[in-house]
Formats: sequence, structure tokens, C-alpha cells
Amino acid sequence: MSRLIVRTVDLSKVYRRGKVSVLALRNVNLQIAAGEIAGIMGPSGSGKTTLLNLIGGLDKPTNGRIFVDGVDITALGERELADYRLKKVGFVFQFYNLIPTLTALENVEIPLALAGVPKNERRERALNLLKMVGLEDRAEHKPDELSGGEQQRVAIARALINNPSIVLADEPTGDLDSKSALALMNLIKDLNRRNGQTFIIVTHDPIVAERCTKIYTIRDGQIESA
Amino acid sequence: MFVWSIAVRNLRRRRLRTALTVSGIVVGISMMFILLSLVSGMESQARSMVRALGGADIIVSNSTSFRNGMGGPLGALPSPSTLDESIVDAIGGIQGVYAISPQFSFSCSINGRRITVYGVEPKSYEIVTGGLNIAEGRFLIENSNREIVLGKALMEFLNLTVGQTVSLNTGQEGREQTFNIVGVFETGMFFQEYAAYITLADAQNITGEYGLITQILVKCEDPSIVSDVASAISSTVPGVRVTTPTAVLQQANQMLNTLTMFFATIGLVALFAGSFGVVNTMMMSVTERTREIGILKAIGAKSYDIMKIFLAESLLIGLIGGGAGVAAGSILAYLFPTLTSGIFAIGISPFGMRNPFSGAAGRGWGSRATSAIIFTTPAITPINIIVCFSLGAFVGILAGLYPAWRASRMRPVEALRHV
Repeated sequence: MSRLIVRTVDLSKVYRRGKVSVLALRNVNLQIAAGEIAGIMGPSGSGKTTLLNLIGGLDKPTNGRIFVDGVDITALGERELADYRLKKVGFVFQFYNLIPTLTALENVEIPLALAGVPKNERRERALNLLKMVGLEDRAEHKPDELSGGEQQRVAIARALINNPSIVLADEPTGDLDSKSALALMNLIKDLNRRNGQTFIIVTHDPIVAERCTKIYTIRDGQIESA
Repeated sequence: MFVWSIAVRNLRRRRLRTALTVSGIVVGISMMFILLSLVSGMESQARSMVRALGGADIIVSNSTSFRNGMGGPLGALPSPSTLDESIVDAIGGIQGVYAISPQFSFSCSINGRRITVYGVEPKSYEIVTGGLNIAEGRFLIENSNREIVLGKALMEFLNLTVGQTVSLNTGQEGREQTFNIVGVFETGMFFQEYAAYITLADAQNITGEYGLITQILVKCEDPSIVSDVASAISSTVPGVRVTTPTAVLQQANQMLNTLTMFFATIGLVALFAGSFGVVNTMMMSVTERTREIGILKAIGAKSYDIMKIFLAESLLIGLIGGGAGVAAGSILAYLFPTLTSGIFAIGISPFGMRNPFSGAAGRGWGSRATSAIIFTTPAITPINIIVCFSLGAFVGILAGLYPAWRASRMRPVEALRHV
């Protein structure tokens, strides 16, 4: 068994909406090995996205711990958490979430700019990644000039630019037609094979599920089967 | 840096809103700019007018000299209202007097053009008045013979150059002498430059008024005792009139300071109103871009990165507003004389500038001209440009602080949920 990259210990998350408390996650103990393409499935409202946000350091758990590469990220302060998001993980969202005013190339460059990488190097690395996702000729296009599949590939390039050990994707094919979805999954498989990056993908899509190396099902805030 | 490209593109994306927001700043800054320029204009005019009085703290003249006048079409004769050189020592002995310089001024025609000529003792004149602003050549030197320094405007009018000679004619029989031009002075005020300086001895020689002078310029040991020394002079020396230009300048400066404060307050109020526009726009911008903030935070932006993006945007609004405000203000300042001709001309008297000016140095046509000049030429100074431009930038930053802080405080998960 290869080494664990993500390990959660008794992870719980309670949302308070007014006077009502919603238990989104209940004592989740999850272990994901490095190099996996892990699919997280389950009905809506089961806590999939919550789990992904917690692993990605976007949100803080109510209880429990999350270890990523041996580091307890629940103990990190806000600045360290931002740094963790910048260097350790990459995010891919259902609706691509590119910055509409920036070109594809600039969108991919943002994490490098945030990390303080000089402009020339930024440009070069971003272009290389766009080439890798097959969009080198779309580099100067704005998001609204790209198709959904293309936008999602730009988003993947952006997620990968700082060489993160984990890429977190929330319904990445949710807004794509099946052809684009398939192309995207093939790209993910290819990247996973080449760079050994771990992908954790929240999905409903069988096209995605079939290509994951492991599936975790979550129901009512708990992992059902591993 | 990508912070700037994001800011610039957001401003461009909402051109109309940006333009409207910027115009709020433009109104405030241009108002501020024109008012400050106006005050600067008055200040420099006031200063050069007092400079025309000789730069001395006190000017002592014969108490009858103004009744006779010196200019005028029939001013061919030297002023009869002279003082005897002996009172120079009497005034020099008064306590608080630091230095004195006797002067003999008279009306004279130079190459056919009638002007005022001042006969001075070069050394003491420079000590007492700080000297003329020499644009070319040099000032007179002690014991020089038949040397003359002319005003720049006069030089240009008569088409003369340094090194040439001019002929001075007092209008009296046989009183025509030739002088070498050794220097050119500049005051920045046209009418003051229609004058010439020669040595006191040459002046007495050409007029034949040996041993007589028309004014004594006095410098006090300290500016604060000028009025005491002035009253000491008028009480101890009989038959003299005492004028204190620096006291007038101080008074004028006080008035101008009050005016500056008043105008600056008006400008600041306008700017303050404009800054609310910036706050409003920035708040809208933050709300509109909540999701974008969420994305940036999700991919690793720290709170201060977000702050920088929004501050850059509001700083840009301030910079554009400041620049356009200064430009608009300059145009208005340039047009100001035409827009307001006549309105402000009367405003001169509260500053008390007219009286001393026409008293000690008024050459008939000078005094009326100055009242128009002082209020109709706003001065566009580099310092005003810098002040107004940076004020725009400052207001931009200030107005952006709260919205930027709000943006930076957003929690990524909630921001991402925003549609």
C-alpha cells in the first residue's frame, strides 16, 4: 500500500442556519493514498462538497482533524491555510470559476503571481500547461470566448500550475456534455499517470466514476463503503 | 503585476460607472486646484508688488512728495520733494535700524521713452533690499561711473542688449548723458521692468540735485519691530513720511492664508462628497465580485492580496480623478480672467495693497493696473499640481479602504456560493 496523503480523524461539520443546526459530516474517517483518483459519490446534501471544502482548507471543521501529507491542516492559521491552498492543493469547480476579465493564460498564471513567481517564468510555465491540456492556441481568449470543456481544461491547468500534491474537483463534468466529460477524464487519468498527482473528485457522473481508482460513498454525513 | 491588470480591466468593464465615479473626484480636485491657483496667483502678485517697493522694511520719503507727484506728462522736472542727505545719519542712529540705503528716483527719458530711474548706492541697496533679480550681466558696483541696469521688458521694448549705451535725458537743458548697459533685471511684472538703476552719484549729477535724495530705504534688525522703528522714525525726524511694505505684505499674507483655508475647505467638502461616490462604487464592485473573491481565495490568495486588488482599483479612480481634476482645473484657471473679469477687481482694497503701492512706487499708470492684475491671474504652480494630484490619489485610497477590507474578510466557502 502506498503512503497516505489524506487522512481524516473523526471529522464533523455542523452548519448553523438560524436556530437550526445541520449536521453535514459525522465522524468521518477517511484515508486516501497518494496517486489515487478518488471518487466521492452520494446523494445531494450528503456532505460531499463539505468534505471536499474541508480537505481543501476552504472551511474549518467543527470537530476532528485532517492530515494532509502528515500535516494537521485544522491547526493552521488563516495565512498558512491560504498558503496551503496555494501550494499544496488545486481546485477545479463545476462552473469552472475562471476570472472573467482575464485571458486563459492569465487565469492559469494567477496562482504563480500569488506565489510571487516573476512574470517571464509565469508566462512560460502557464503556456506549457495550456499546451499540456491542449489549449495553447486559446491562450489569449477570455473565458466567455471558450466552450465549457475548454474552460474546464483551463481550470485544470490553473489547478496544476503550482504542482500541488492533490487536485480537488467538485463535479468537474457537471456542466459538460458527455464527450467533453470523457475528454476531461482522459486528461485527468493522463496527468495522474504522468505526474502521480492525487485527484479527489466529487461526482454523480458514471463517466467519472468508471475512471476513478477508488470510490467512496457518503450518505447522511458518513462514509458508507471504502 | 496582475493586481493592476485586474483593477484596470474591472474599471474598463464598467466604463460609464467608472467615468461617473471619477467625475465626482474631478469636481472636487479641479475646484480645489483652481482655488489654490487663485491664492498662489494673488500671493505672487502681492509679493512682487511689495518687491517693487524696494524690498525694504521701511521707506522714508518727504511728507510732501505725494502732493506733487512724479510721473505725469509734465513730470520732466525731478521731484522737488527731496530730503537732505544729512537725515541719513539721523535715521541710521535710531534703535532697531540694521541698515539704510539712500535713493534718488526721478523721471527721465531713455532713448525717447519716459521711465523711472533710481539712483542707488549699490552696496547698501543690496543689503537693505536683498538686491534685484539680475537676469543678465551684473548689478551696479560701488563708485562705477555712468553704468546702468535696465528692466527686461524695457530692454526688449527698446531692442537693447547688454554692452550697448543709452542716452538719458531729464528734459532739462543740457542734461543728457550716455550710460553703459551692464545688466538686466527681471521682476516678472511688466510695468516694474520699465525702470532703470544707476548710482546715486550719477543720479545727483544728471539732475543737478547734489546732496539730495528722494527716499531712504531702511532694513530693521528684526521683522517684528518694523512698526516700532517706523513710528520712531516719524516721531524723531520731522517732515518725513514713513511706509512699511513688509508690514503690508505680512498683512496681505495673513489675509491670503485665511483665504487659502477658506477655499481649501470648500474644495475639501466637494472632494469629500465625491469620495462617497468612490466608496459606493467600490462597495458595488465588491458585492458584484464576491464570487471572484471566493475563487481567488480558493486558489490561494491571502486576505491582503484581495485588499491590494480593490485598493489598486480605488487608487486608480483617485489617480485618474486627480489627473483629470488638475487638467480641468488648469483649463478653468486659464479661462478664469475672462470668466470673471471685473468681478474681483474691487476686491483689492481689503488687502490694503493699493494704498502703499501707489504711495511709494506708484508711477501713475501702475496702481490702477495692479488691482486688475492681482485678481485675474491664477498661478498654476508645481506644488499645487502635486498637492491636488496626490490628494486625488489619497482620497481614492481612503475611499477604497473599507470596501477592500470588507472584500478581504470574506470567507471563501460563502463567497464561492454567491451567484
